[in-house]
Amino acid sequence: MPEIIVKPLYLKELWKILPGLPASRRYLAGGTDIVTAANAGAETSQCWIDISALPELGLIKETAGALFIGAGVKISEIEASCAARKWCPALISALPHFASPSLRNMATLGGNAANGSPCADGVCALVAERAFVLLAHNGKKRRLALKDLFLGPKRTALKKDELILAFEIPKRPHAGVYLKLGPRAYFGISKAAVAVAAEISGGIIRRVTVALGSVAPVPLLAVNTSAWLTGRELSPRSAAAAAELVKKEVAPITDARSEAGYRREMCGVLLERALNSL
Amino acid sequence: MGRVKDAARKPAAGSGKPEKYFIFSLSCTVNGAGLERAVPSSRSLLEFIREDLGLKGTKEGCGEGECGACMVLVDGTAVNACLMMAVQVHGRDLVTIEGIKGKDGGLHPLQKTFMAEGAVQCGFCTPGFIIASEALLRRKPKATLEDIKLELTGNLCRCTGYEKVLSAVEKARGK
Repeated sequence: MPEIIVKPLYLKELWKILPGLPASRRYLAGGTDIVTAANAGAETSQCWIDISALPELGLIKETAGALFIGAGVKISEIEASCAARKWCPALISALPHFASPSLRNMATLGGNAANGSPCADGVCALVAERAFVLLAHNGKKRRLALKDLFLGPKRTALKKDELILAFEIPKRPHAGVYLKLGPRAYFGISKAAVAVAAEISGGIIRRVTVALGSVAPVPLLAVNTSAWLTGRELSPRSAAAAAELVKKEVAPITDARSEAGYRREMCGVLLERALNSL
Repeated sequence: MGRVKDAARKPAAGSGKPEKYFIFSLSCTVNGAGLERAVPSSRSLLEFIREDLGLKGTKEGCGEGECGACMVLVDGTAVNACLMMAVQVHGRDLVTIEGIKGKDGGLHPLQKTFMAEGAVQCGFCTPGFIIASEALLRRKPKATLEDIKLELTGNLCRCTGYEKVLSAVEKARGK
C-alpha cells in the first residue's frame, strides 16, 4: 500500500505538484486494478496520485465530428449516456460484460487502457470503434490511434507520468456488437472476445473494424479480416469465410484461462455470430 | 484532502524497517452521522470500516473485487470496499450494512424478506447481497428478475443460496 496518496483538483495542479512527489508513483483512477495488485503485494509504489477529481477527465462531450469520453468517467456513467449509446454501439454492447455492476461504478476506461491488458473489454470495443486516445504530459498533449497505445501484455506507449485524458470516437452511423466467451455468462475474464463495428448500407459492408481480445499480446485490430470484409455483402456465407480468415490473424496462447487452439477456434465462432447478428 | 502529517509505525514483520506513511484528517458521513478521523493513506476502506470504525458487518472475502462480501454504498452507489482506499471517501456519504434500516428504524424490508425466504445460510455474503440489492431497488424500484440477476453478478454465495436470494429481492420490491 502507498505511503501517500495525493489528490490534485485540476490538471494544472497535477503538473505543478508532480516534481515534488516521490519518484515511485502511479495514477489511481477507479482503483479496481491497482488496489487489487496492492492487496496482492504486486503493486508497491510509494505514492498514488488520485486523479478521480480532475474535472478535465470527467466528462462525456460531443463536437460536430466526434464523441469524447473522459478517461475518468465511470463505466456505469457511460452505460447511461445517450450520446455513447448513439455513437458507440460496440462499446455499449461490451459494457454489460465489463466486470460486475459495483466494479463498473468504480472503474474507468482510462484505467482499462492504462493497465495494458490484452483482455480489457472496454479497450477491445474501443479499438473496433476506431477510437483515438488523447494524452497529456506536463501540459503537452498528443493524440494516438488507440490500437497504437499497446506494445505488449501490460506494456503501453505511455511515458512516465503521461496521463490519458480522453477517448475520441469519430461520429458515424454504424452498427456494433461485442461477444465475449468467459468462464460464465457474466463477470469473468474473457478467454476470447470479438468486437465488430460496421457501416452497412443496402446489405453491403461499406466499412468495418474487427477487434479481438485475449487472443494476442495486445488488443488486436484484425487488419486483414477487416479489409477482406469491406465492400462485401453481409451474409452468412461472408461471415463464415471471415471466421476462417480471422483464425489465421490471431496469436493466442495457452494460460490459466484457456488453451491456444480452443481460443483460435472460438475467435472464428464469435466473429461469425457477431457478423450474423448485425 | 485534510492536513497531512508524517508518521511511522512499527516495523513490518521481518523487514526490520519502519513502515512510513502519511496521515490524513478524513471527514465524511458514516451511516448518517458526521465523522472526523485521522487515517493513514495506506488504509483500505475495508480495513477502515472493520478495524477503525469497528463495523464488522462488512466482510472481507476475496480482496480482489470478485465476491462482493465487502460491498458498501458510497454516495448511494454500491462499491467494493476492498478496492477503495479510506481517504477516497473524504467528503462523501458512506453507508455500511449497519446503516441499512427500515423507515421505522427496525429491519429493512430486504432484511425481512431475506429472513422470510431463507436467503441466508452462513450469512457471510448476506451484507453484500443486501447492499447490492438496496442500490438496485433505490435506482429501479420495479426491477425485473432479469435486472436483479444482472445486478447481483458481482456477489458470490458459496452456500449456493441464489434462488432464495432472488425471490427475497423480488418480494422486497415496492416495500
